[in-house]
Amino acid sequence: MGYFLFIVRSALDDFRRSKIQTFLTSLGILIGVFAVVTLTAMGLGLKKYISDQFDALGSNTLFVTPGKLLESGGMGASSLLGNRFDLKDLNSLKRVRSIKSITPLSSKSGAAQGTKKSEFSTIFFSSDVFFDISGFEIEKGRFFDKRDVDKRAKVLVAGPKIAEKLFGSISEALDKKVSIDNVSFTIIGVIKSKGGGGFGGPDYDSYFFGPFTTGFIFDPDKKFIRFAMKTDENISILTVKEEVKTQMLKRYKDDEFSIVEPTEILSVVNRIFEIMNIVLVAIASISLLVGGIGIMNIMYVTVSDKTKEVGIRRAIGARKNDILFQFIVEAVALSVLGGALGIGLAYIGILIVQPYFPAYMDVTSVALALGVSSAIGIVFGVLPARKAANLEPVEAIRYE
Amino acid sequence: MIRLDKVVKSYKIDEETTFYALKESTVEIKEKEFVSIIGPSGSGKSTLMHLIGLLDKPTSGEIIIQGKKTSGLNDDQISSLRNEFIGFVFQQFNLIPKLTVLENILLPSFYARKKLEYNPKEKALELIKRFGLQGKENSYPNKISGGQQQRVSILRALIMEPKLILADEPTGNLDSKTGTEIMKMLKTLNEDEKITIAIVTHEVDIAKYGKRTIHVKDGKVV
Repeated sequence: MGYFLFIVRSALDDFRRSKIQTFLTSLGILIGVFAVVTLTAMGLGLKKYISDQFDALGSNTLFVTPGKLLESGGMGASSLLGNRFDLKDLNSLKRVRSIKSITPLSSKSGAAQGTKKSEFSTIFFSSDVFFDISGFEIEKGRFFDKRDVDKRAKVLVAGPKIAEKLFGSISEALDKKVSIDNVSFTIIGVIKSKGGGGFGGPDYDSYFFGPFTTGFIFDPDKKFIRFAMKTDENISILTVKEEVKTQMLKRYKDDEFSIVEPTEILSVVNRIFEIMNIVLVAIASISLLVGGIGIMNIMYVTVSDKTKEVGIRRAIGARKNDILFQFIVEAVALSVLGGALGIGLAYIGILIVQPYFPAYMDVTSVALALGVSSAIGIVFGVLPARKAANLEPVEAIRYE
Repeated sequence: MIRLDKVVKSYKIDEETTFYALKESTVEIKEKEFVSIIGPSGSGKSTLMHLIGLLDKPTSGEIIIQGKKTSGLNDDQISSLRNEFIGFVFQQFNLIPKLTVLENILLPSFYARKKLEYNPKEKALELIKRFGLQGKENSYPNKISGGQQQRVSILRALIMEPKLILADEPTGNLDSKTGTEIMKMLKTLNEDEKITIAIVTHEVDIAKYGKRTIHVKDGKVV
C-alpha cells in the first residue's frame, strides 16, 4: 500500500509544480465531462418533470388528441396541426358509458393585467371535472363548477405563481379582476402549487383555468385541442379505448385522432430521451477523445522529460511494470482531475439553472463520468507509459 | 563474488563497421574488496561499470554473480538483482529532484519485492544521523550542497544493505576536500561494514583508495 500511495503522490507532486500545464491538459476531459453531466442532468430532470405530470393523472385516464400522436413521435406538433374537435364530439363521447367524466381542453395565451403588474400568461379552458381528473387541490376560494360552465361565467381559477406575480400575494388575488386580451375575469380561487414548471411541459402554477364555454369568447369556431377523460375502473382500459374509437370513427378517419393513455405518452417521452442520450454520448465521445489525445500528448512529453529519472529508477531496481504503473497513474490522475472538475462545474451549473429548469443530477452519471475519465487515462496513458517502461536503463541514465 | 567472463560489448555502426566499447575482458571482484577501475575517458571503463552493474547486457561472454550466470535471467530478475545486490553511486548524484532527501534514500525500498527484515524508514533515519545529514531529511536535493547530495546518494545505495557498491566517478563533480570526505566514507563502509566497493575513476589519487586497481585502456582490461 505504501508503494501505491508513494506512486500516486509522485504523480500529484508533478501537478503542483506545473499547475497551468496540468489544468490545460485536463481541460478537454473537463469540458467533455461537464457537458455530459450537465446535459444528462437536464434531460433527466425534464423527463422526470414530464413523467410527474402524467403520473399525477393516475390510471384510468385517457386522452383523445387530433392527429397520430405515437407514429409521428413528437407530442405537441402533430396535435396542434391536426383537425380540432368541437361540441358535437364532446356530446358524442359523453354517450360512451365506460367514460365516467370527460373534459374538453383548449387554451388562450395573452398579456394578463393584475393590480401589481402585467404578465404573459395562458388560460386553460376545461369543464369543472378537469380539477378532479388532474388531481388539483384548492388553496384559497373555490374551483368553478357546472353552473359556471353553463352560465359561461367570466371566472378564473389561478395558479399560485401567477396570482402572486400579478397581485402580490395569493390572498390579494382572490375576488380581484384580471384582464386578458381586453376581457375581464374574476378570480374565484387559487390552486395549491403543483410544483415543477419551466421548460416544455405545462407549468400549472403559472396558468389560469376557466370554463370551456367561456373560452368560446376567444374562439368563435368553438374548437378544442383535446379531450381528457376518467374511465370506469371496473372496465378494462382497452375496452374503453375500443368504445371511444368506435364513437370517434363515426365522424373521423382512423388517422385523424389518437386515443392515448398517460403511460403511452410516457413511452414516447422515454423514446425521445433515449435518442437524446445517444446523441449526447456521441458528442461526449468526441470531446473525450480529443481530451484523451491531449493527455497522451502531454504524457509523451512527460516521458521524454523524465527519461533520466526513469534511468535512475531502473538502476536502483524498478521493474518495467513499476515504471509502466507510475506513468499510467499519472495519466489517470490527470484525466480524473479533469473529470472531477467537470463534475464540480456541472454541479454548480445545475444549481444555477435549477430555479428555471428542472435539472436533476443523479449518482449514476457522476459515477459513469468518473469511470469513463479513469478509463481514458488508462487507454491514452498506456502507450506513453510503455515507451517509458521500455527505455534501456543504460541509455536512459546517460540522457541529459 | 562477481565475475565477468570473456565479456565483449560492441555496437554495429553500419553493415561493415562494428565499434568495440569493450574488447574481450575477464574481470573478477572478490567479496569485501575495494577495487578501483582506472582509465582515461573513452577507455571503456564506464561500459565495464555498466556491465558489472547489470545496467547493460554484454554482446558476448557471461556475467556471473555469486556463482550464478545472469544471461538466462529475465528483465524482472535482473531488476531485482540491481535492487537488492548492488548500490549505485553516480558522478552527477542522480537524485530525483521532486523527492525529499528521506524519500530519495527510501526509493529503492519501494521497489523491493522481497520482505525486508528491518523497517527501511528507521534505517534511513539512522543512516542520516550517522552520516551527518540530520535536519536535511525533508529538504529537496537542490537545497543542499553537492557533497551532501553525494552522501544522500550513498545512503540510497546503502538502504537495501547491498553486497556491492558501484561508484562511477563519485568525486567528479566535487571539490577535492569534499571528494576526500566522500572517499573516506566509502573506505569506512568497506572496512567497517565489509561492503564490497568498486569505483571507476580517471584520477590516480582517487584510485589509490582502492586496495587493487584494474586498468582499462582502449577498450581493454590491461
